[in-house]
Amino acid sequence: MGIDPASKTVDIKQPLFNRRQLLQAGLLLGAAGGATIGLSQLWRSRGRSATVTIPPLPQEAMHHGSGISPLKILREFDYGTVTQENGRTVREFRVEAQTGELQLNKSTKFITWNLNGRVPGPTFRATEGDRIRVIFYNKAGHSHSLHFHGTHPAAMDGVKPVRNGNVFIYEFDAEPYGVHLYHCHVAPVTRHIGKGLYGMFIIDPPQPRPPADEMVLIMAGYDTNNDNKNELYAFNGLPHAYMHQPIPIQQNQLIRLYVLNLIEFDPVATFHLHANLFRVNPTGRLLEPSYETDVITMGTAERHILEFSFKETGKFMFHPHQDAIAEAGCMGYFDVISGLPS
Amino acid sequence: MKFLKFFGLWIASCGLVVLVACNNQAPSTSTSQNTSAASTAPTEQATHADMGHSKRININAAILSELDKLEAKLGVPALSNKIQASRPYGKVEELVSKNVITQAQFDQIKDMVTIEDIQLTGEAKDVDYMVKLSLMKGHMMVAKELLDLGKPDQAEPHIGHPVEEIYADVEDQLNERNVKAFKNELIALQDRVKAGAKDANKTAEEYKASMQSIDGAIAALPETQHKDHDFVLQVINGLLDTANSEYTSAIADGKVKEAIEYQDSRGFVMYADELYKGIANQIQKEYPDSHKKIIAMMADLLKVWPTAIPPQQSVKTPEEVGTLIKQIETETKKAS
Repeated sequence: MGIDPASKTVDIKQPLFNRRQLLQAGLLLGAAGGATIGLSQLWRSRGRSATVTIPPLPQEAMHHGSGISPLKILREFDYGTVTQENGRTVREFRVEAQTGELQLNKSTKFITWNLNGRVPGPTFRATEGDRIRVIFYNKAGHSHSLHFHGTHPAAMDGVKPVRNGNVFIYEFDAEPYGVHLYHCHVAPVTRHIGKGLYGMFIIDPPQPRPPADEMVLIMAGYDTNNDNKNELYAFNGLPHAYMHQPIPIQQNQLIRLYVLNLIEFDPVATFHLHANLFRVNPTGRLLEPSYETDVITMGTAERHILEFSFKETGKFMFHPHQDAIAEAGCMGYFDVISGLPS
Repeated sequence: MKFLKFFGLWIASCGLVVLVACNNQAPSTSTSQNTSAASTAPTEQATHADMGHSKRININAAILSELDKLEAKLGVPALSNKIQASRPYGKVEELVSKNVITQAQFDQIKDMVTIEDIQLTGEAKDVDYMVKLSLMKGHMMVAKELLDLGKPDQAEPHIGHPVEEIYADVEDQLNERNVKAFKNELIALQDRVKAGAKDANKTAEEYKASMQSIDGAIAALPETQHKDHDFVLQVINGLLDTANSEYTSAIADGKVKEAIEYQDSRGFVMYADELYKGIANQIQKEYPDSHKKIIAMMADLLKVWPTAIPPQQSVKTPEEVGTLIKQIETETKKAS
């Protein structure tokens, strides 16, 4: 309301930038045995800790259908098998397109096309400049493919269908750093994505981002009756999963969400966090977040890094503010647990 | 130089299933090209260099009869199936690390295998081509049934699949075999059906044109292949294998949840049956026992898809269908 986003940008970015400079200085001095204390004080003063504490997860992480567990998918990153080939870091990922049933709720069973048995597919993670090699095996009946966002040569663009029973090896350099995604690009793409063939692809900047409790949240829709409309929605594959099992996080700890909107059929979905504001790093292309809000609007395939921490303990909702989408499954809670001093 | 070589091979590789990226940098300086080419291990560079001359077997994509050459060389029973079962391979060395063969055995065959089958050759290439066109036929056959039932909305995906999922994969082979491109025919029909197929005559005309094009592409294969029962059985297995996966994608809780995949698998099995009829006499003469079994099992299999519009309850579970298809494949191998 009348606040100039540009001025907000300056307000928030400046101290962070200073901290980053200090961080770099700290690392240099740290080698000489110096500035570690100053550094951790700095973290603390911003409600952050240099070490990240992940609260214990509920004993029985929710499992449905083909063993999909949103609480596990949340913080699970696939860094691939790393080898050095002629002085370069090569990250090799193996992905198998499969078919499997997923119990979306008590009354709806949905046949997914999935990757490695999970919806969403694995979160691939690399550092800018790594060589990426993805061995894609299609065992899901139809022709499928993997199309990565980011930059790569035309031959690796993943628009060419890979037939059932065949293998294709995608190989390219991880660039640029940021939050990307991948998905099947065989027509009708809405159906291929809607049935589960998608995932996140994170490329970290060469200098890592500050430590945080990092999580992936992918919003997606389910067209359960093939009417080109979504009947159900979900974060990370299962409707209402984080309502039934809130995500435990530490009080006063930096949370870094990698959020992707991959809802087909609905043009946009917002992301809203209760009782807080988050700092936005658009497409993860900045080294620091640039502005602050509590609702961000995302078109299909848009994705950002959102950062925040909670001062108060308790349960706090997050959901798209298209409440019909939220109420049809795209809704969850953070359960803020006391722990870190403010 | 290296880049050009890669590029040229890639161009030549279109029908190709597996491809390893060669270069993602602009061909501005030779040093940068060498750097990125160097991302593959030295042994694999040798593979690149040999490509086009040698007839290496792609362990990720080769059909069983190709893999049999490795089985024969090493004298390991059922090795072909073992190689197939351990796919995919990121490197040929994974034949050892995945415990398919020993290092000593690998040393004997390492010059025969690749994962970069840039060019399928000989029979393997023809089988691959024929399987793709047969999948198109299966889609078109079930589409016709649905059009005849006055269900253009249900026919539409099956008209679409040949052009959306298969055509790109077969395009270069069509060029090589001097088959006239027919993408536009497929798209014209798809557009008409999408628009509701209101003019029945025009729809029938365009359907016929698409079907004739696919048949023309099939006819480009040498007559010897069409008559070779071993060749046709490999195609049938390709169709049944895909039908199996599609059927699995259709059934949940004993019900047909996805009509599209049910219909896909119906089309593939119907065309597999049609292909078998073309070679049945030969098989009956040479392998009467297998023939009897195949005929009986195919009849059993066809019952799974009583109508183009799926029944409420599935006739067989995906597991039962899978078992049946495996049994048919076993018999076809005996007969080849």
